[in-house]
Amino acid sequence: MKRELGLLALLVAVVTTVSIVNPAFLTTQNLRDILVQVAPFAVLACGMAFVVVLGEIDISIGSMVGLLAVVLGIGTSPALMGAPVGVVTAVMFATGAALGCLNGLLATYGRVPSIIVTLGTLSLFRGATELLLKGEWVTDAPKSFINDTAAISIAAAVVLGTWVVATKTPLGLRVYAAGGNPEAAKVRGLDVKKLRLLAFVTMGLLAALAALISVPQMSVIESGIGAGWELFVVTCVVVGGVSITGGRGSIVGVVIGVLLLGTVRTVLVFLKLGDDAVYWERAIQGAFILVAVLADRLMVKRR
Amino acid sequence: MRLKVERLEKSFDAVRALDGASLELFAGEVHGLVGENGAGKSTLIKVLTGVHRPDRGSVLVDGAPLAFGSVAASESAGIAVVHQESTAFRDLRLAENLFVGHEPRKFGLFLDRSRMQSQAKAVMERIGEPPVPGALGDAPLARQQLVAIARAVSTNAKIVVFDEPTASLSVKEADAIHRAVRDLRSSGVAVLYVSHRLEEVLGLCDRVTVMRDGVVVETRAIQETTRETMIRAMVGRDIAHAQPEPSSPKEVRLEVRGLSRPPAFEDVSFQVRAGEVVGLGGLVGAGRTEVARAVFGIDRPTSGSVLIDGVALPPGDVAQVIKFGVALVPEDRQHEGLVTPLSVATNLCMAVRKTIARAGFINNEREREVTEHQTESLAIRTSGPDAPVTSLSGGNQQKVAIGKWLATSPKVLVLDEPTRGVDVASKGEIHRIVRDLAKQGTAVLVVSSDLPELLHLSDRIVVMRGGRVAGSLQRKDATPESVLALAIAEDK
Repeated sequence: MKRELGLLALLVAVVTTVSIVNPAFLTTQNLRDILVQVAPFAVLACGMAFVVVLGEIDISIGSMVGLLAVVLGIGTSPALMGAPVGVVTAVMFATGAALGCLNGLLATYGRVPSIIVTLGTLSLFRGATELLLKGEWVTDAPKSFINDTAAISIAAAVVLGTWVVATKTPLGLRVYAAGGNPEAAKVRGLDVKKLRLLAFVTMGLLAALAALISVPQMSVIESGIGAGWELFVVTCVVVGGVSITGGRGSIVGVVIGVLLLGTVRTVLVFLKLGDDAVYWERAIQGAFILVAVLADRLMVKRR
Repeated sequence: MRLKVERLEKSFDAVRALDGASLELFAGEVHGLVGENGAGKSTLIKVLTGVHRPDRGSVLVDGAPLAFGSVAASESAGIAVVHQESTAFRDLRLAENLFVGHEPRKFGLFLDRSRMQSQAKAVMERIGEPPVPGALGDAPLARQQLVAIARAVSTNAKIVVFDEPTASLSVKEADAIHRAVRDLRSSGVAVLYVSHRLEEVLGLCDRVTVMRDGVVVETRAIQETTRETMIRAMVGRDIAHAQPEPSSPKEVRLEVRGLSRPPAFEDVSFQVRAGEVVGLGGLVGAGRTEVARAVFGIDRPTSGSVLIDGVALPPGDVAQVIKFGVALVPEDRQHEGLVTPLSVATNLCMAVRKTIARAGFINNEREREVTEHQTESLAIRTSGPDAPVTSLSGGNQQKVAIGKWLATSPKVLVLDEPTRGVDVASKGEIHRIVRDLAKQGTAVLVVSSDLPELLHLSDRIVVMRGGRVAGSLQRKDATPESVLALAIAEDK
């Protein structure tokens, strides 16, 4: 809980500072914009939290979102397939589950470290996306079926749902147990591999959900959607206090991590630090992850 | 009768871990199980708990056959286990630790936290302990072990297996465990208690079974058991090796002075003379390997020093230690002793690559010379110098691991478990090589869990117990009994 409170204090400090420098920051519209912007990342980070708690990682999610966005675009575009939105959405979710399942099977029963598996699928999924589009853009996909309110509500529902699973259900407890001490979990008869597979499949489904709430907001669908998202999401999860060695972390911390880094992304504009300020974003993101991991190490050492 | 184990057999590759072990366990008894390292106790436990599937034999619980190879099946048959190391989930709380895997639920879907809490409290009360607050990993080890016992109680286990539960506890901490074991007994549970602490076994158990080489040697009532009968039964084998001629030790070559690296070992001192083979004995976990690693500079000791010919080695600096003429053949040859994808020649020349190089490039001519010489003098059986070292048998791989260092003509050779997993013929050859080296004036330090090997090779045996030197035995005084008596703690 300490970690979460610290992060929350940091978030409040950032928001307060920026509001003092530039009162335009603290408007309903701007805060709403931030929420819409971070919504898909919150969804992805909640899925990633389970993966990382289990001692695994999935860096293919950016490419996954890209591929699923193209499935959605090509499926719904009147000029291309023009299929009903409901049907295409269902196909997209099935695809997301299948992609996650592929990662999971290779990482568990295939015994390949998940960082390598998803490094491979990161390229594989992006390659598939480029093959499907062949340099074209989809510009006429319908957009009206998801609005800002829907996007924020869906993200909030995912946060609530994953929090319930993590803290209130036997499944969540088993995930923490299997991540913290896999050997002991096996001795207790828990199927650690099945839990890991489940986490990867869930990650795929949440990637589909993230695509659903972000892609219709984009003016065009091209092959670069989602590129680099995995880095931002992993940063949020680690900054949010999920131990990279597994077993520890909370959904509350992850969500605060998403809000914090999502806010930092936009405040640079508001701080009026000059034209170059926006170029600091990545460096700041990087510094956050290093500080977070260092804090984690120090805490582990103390115990 | 609660548990009947009949003629269990289990092999791992060429090693027979269980060779027809049989055992009977009654309700309301604490049954001690003792034996040397590798006697088969751990394998027996793992069969009972469903981790290993035996090759042959049967286990009956209350007359019903146990389904092998399933943790869940063993658990539902009423078998629970308390391990040597804590199997706690360090980040989880007490109640979560107790019930993960069979959680009380409400609405079929959610954790029933309040029931978990109250049941956890009740279970801890049954073993006479207060609940543990916070994450279990923050509690002392003894408390974590008590929670493991509480867990066994919470599953209403009929049979509880203890695998050296007090191995890493102090005598006082162990008392709490003993109390909990007695409580289990009086509530009618059958307890199988594995321990290396013989006094503990004498004080706690009703009957004692001794295992050796995968079979049960004897089972006695505690009234007919003494420390001596147990040790005799644990050892009880003929040691009919041809005794090697005693070497003639010269000046002190290696001296270890007050070396400490708690908690692994503390205040360890001994000497090895040129031409002498000194064995470092003791039970698994006594700190032998850790001492060898510190001597070689892999781990930095917190205090004390290692001297070669009277000159102190810089602590924790492997490169310097090698320059002083010390060589280490590590326990885990696959990972630490050899570079497995590479060839026999490359591995043999690994430690001398600088001397056989010219202007920074390996001189193939010199490499072949060194390889041919070592292959011949060590009788390494290989299809050729370019064969990958993985294509060799375990024994020949080990010869390569030793040969790698011989090319440097070391003054001190440290061998950690030199013949583990090695066939009998190669074992004999490795022993001969070690004795020959000593004859040529090398000071040799051998770490081994294989007692006959230690007795056969060593001019002197330094026995460790619980991280300290328990005593030192000259060849003429060293018998299996005398070594074990030093290695096994005398509880006060």
